[in-house]
Amino acid sequence: MIKELFLQEHKKLWKKKSVRISFLLCVLYIVVFGSFLTYQWFTFGSSRGTYSGFGNNFDGYENIRKMKEYAKQWEGEMTDEKLQEMVRDYQALVRGAEAAHSAGDREKESLYAEQAQRTDRSSIGSWISTLYPELEDSSQTYPSLLERYVDPAELTGFYERRQQKVEEYLDIFGHTEEEKEYLLQMNDRVKEPFVYHWLEGWKLYLTQMLNDFGMVMAVFIVIALSTVFAGEWHNGMGMLMLTTKNGWREVAYAKVLSGIAFTLELFFTIAAGAVAGQLIYLGTEGWDMPIQYIKLIAVAPMNMLQAEIYEYVYFLLGSVGLALLVMFFSAVARNNFIALVSGLAIVYLPMALTGYMPMQVQRVFDLIPLVGSPSDIFRTNVFHMFGQIIWSPYLLITIPVILGCAFIPFTVRRWAGRLKR
Amino acid sequence: MELSVDRLTKQYGSKIAVDCVSAILKPGVYGLLGENGAGKTTLMRMICSILEATSGEVLYDGRNVTDMGADYRNLLGYLPQDFGYYPDYTAMEFLRYMSVLKGIPRKKALRRSEELLEVTGLTDVSAKKIKTFSGGMKQRLGIAQALLNHPKVLILDEPTAGLDPKERVRFRNLLADYAGDRIVLLSTHIVSDIEAIADYVFIMKRGGFAAQGTVPDLIEQAEGKVWELQVAPKEVHEWEKKATISNLRHEDGHVVLRIVSDEQPSPHAVMCHAALEDLYLYYFPVKEGTGLTD
Repeated sequence: MIKELFLQEHKKLWKKKSVRISFLLCVLYIVVFGSFLTYQWFTFGSSRGTYSGFGNNFDGYENIRKMKEYAKQWEGEMTDEKLQEMVRDYQALVRGAEAAHSAGDREKESLYAEQAQRTDRSSIGSWISTLYPELEDSSQTYPSLLERYVDPAELTGFYERRQQKVEEYLDIFGHTEEEKEYLLQMNDRVKEPFVYHWLEGWKLYLTQMLNDFGMVMAVFIVIALSTVFAGEWHNGMGMLMLTTKNGWREVAYAKVLSGIAFTLELFFTIAAGAVAGQLIYLGTEGWDMPIQYIKLIAVAPMNMLQAEIYEYVYFLLGSVGLALLVMFFSAVARNNFIALVSGLAIVYLPMALTGYMPMQVQRVFDLIPLVGSPSDIFRTNVFHMFGQIIWSPYLLITIPVILGCAFIPFTVRRWAGRLKR
Repeated sequence: MELSVDRLTKQYGSKIAVDCVSAILKPGVYGLLGENGAGKTTLMRMICSILEATSGEVLYDGRNVTDMGADYRNLLGYLPQDFGYYPDYTAMEFLRYMSVLKGIPRKKALRRSEELLEVTGLTDVSAKKIKTFSGGMKQRLGIAQALLNHPKVLILDEPTAGLDPKERVRFRNLLADYAGDRIVLLSTHIVSDIEAIADYVFIMKRGGFAAQGTVPDLIEQAEGKVWELQVAPKEVHEWEKKATISNLRHEDGHVVLRIVSDEQPSPHAVMCHAALEDLYLYYFPVKEGTGLTD
């Protein structure tokens, strides 16, 4: 009978206009706007000289192909020599564009500029500024753009420098000796030398596109699920349901299951859309690159594919955790509006306040479903629990869903019982 | 089969909604009469075991209904006063959903739903969304869902509200057929419905039973308290202020007032036979100048 109840509750959930509209908007935003249009238009569309991505040409697919083709010459293991070559190549393109500009040859200038756009310039720039900060020249027009002016011959000892910087940063971040040892042990497992492929696609995907995923999903999960229990009181069915044989615990569990099912359906639909966009536009090349290309001082021994899987698991479990919390609010509040506001507040209030809080409070806020960020895989945050040091990403994927599950008995108890008033 | 209500009390802060009410209900139709706020709905919710009593208990065949839990709810059919529904469901979908809540197997539920849609005259609209239904149709659907599980105890809070006279007659007949060996408790403001259906009536006032008995017994209680008085039309307003008028009719340029009063309201007043409505007005007299009961 619980299966029948679940099917009925699931059907009821999908019959609500608010649920269907939420689902559609969420898919539209994440898959169409956040994925396909981002590749084709906002990010990889060729620039027409405007500051907004909306001003770009609608040619992202062709541009990505050109970028990947251009990067092919550097593919393989990353060495000092290769890094130097990449910087030399970029600098030649910049100088070519500058010379053409001085000569008034617009056509040549835009050709050079277009080629420069195909390089992994921003990543190379971040590597140099992280590993060779002493090369920064404040007399330059743009001192922070080291890749434009450093002498490539000085870019030596890439891996040794990286190791040294990791240790320096661990000191700067105030890690204890014990934590440092733990994190350095992780770092020791990072595979060297690094394999190189075209990088910008993965960087965009892992640090921006997937990061927006949870923030948007949270809104729609709250809108759709805040009515699961409260809605029964709103439409006058609560009283009637409580007089039926299966109207107490059984239906409460069926409602919780249907809420989880909805969350999974929403998640897998948008994940499938986002992955389809990734496959169509970016392809699979470079899946085995280390995430250190995105942030050199990251200590996690993960490649891009593992990072992607981690980020999806983070959102999946976070979404389920949030869904369970929202249903708890729905059962407690017995009022759609209060449940909706509570659901939104539990996510967005900590997000808004976290910047003003001490670090320890921020870490605790991060454990609330979808409040933290999967980008912690690029960081060195740790928790101390039961005398153990635990790298934050482990807790960020487990605690939110455990927290949500812990509320299930309270949700059921709140629904399944006689009324006081 | 016996449902006994034992010193049931519900208190909200300093307000007592139901005050130490006791009754024993055996198979038959019981009517609960009372004005708004008399405690009828609170009492019914406690009998349905959805509202926690402050004190007292409800027993079904000697077993506390709270302890019986799902076993008791399996015997129960309930139509709440403000019956809710899912606007985008069809009548059939709604009954299917209620059947699952009531734990009725699929095939049996389908047969029973069709049967009840027929009985309540909703077969033709069974595939239509409830949001397109009139108030009476929704109420009939509510009655159908209450009967889905062949309840041994049927609690109906204002079941005839929103029904037109034809639908009320249909409902009375349905209930008369259904009652048999079951306990049916219904509340209503419509005294004639109670008069036609109920075997036993409770008149509820300020959380307690002001009177109870069979319809003839209650009418008997009102005998000697109902008077007819012929007055001039211009005097009607004056009489409405000082007496409880249960009816008035125009006759040969005069107005004949039906007055409920312990004593003869005027030397010209003539005693007449009482009806249940007169007793209701005796307990809930019309407030002076408001046209509302006390």
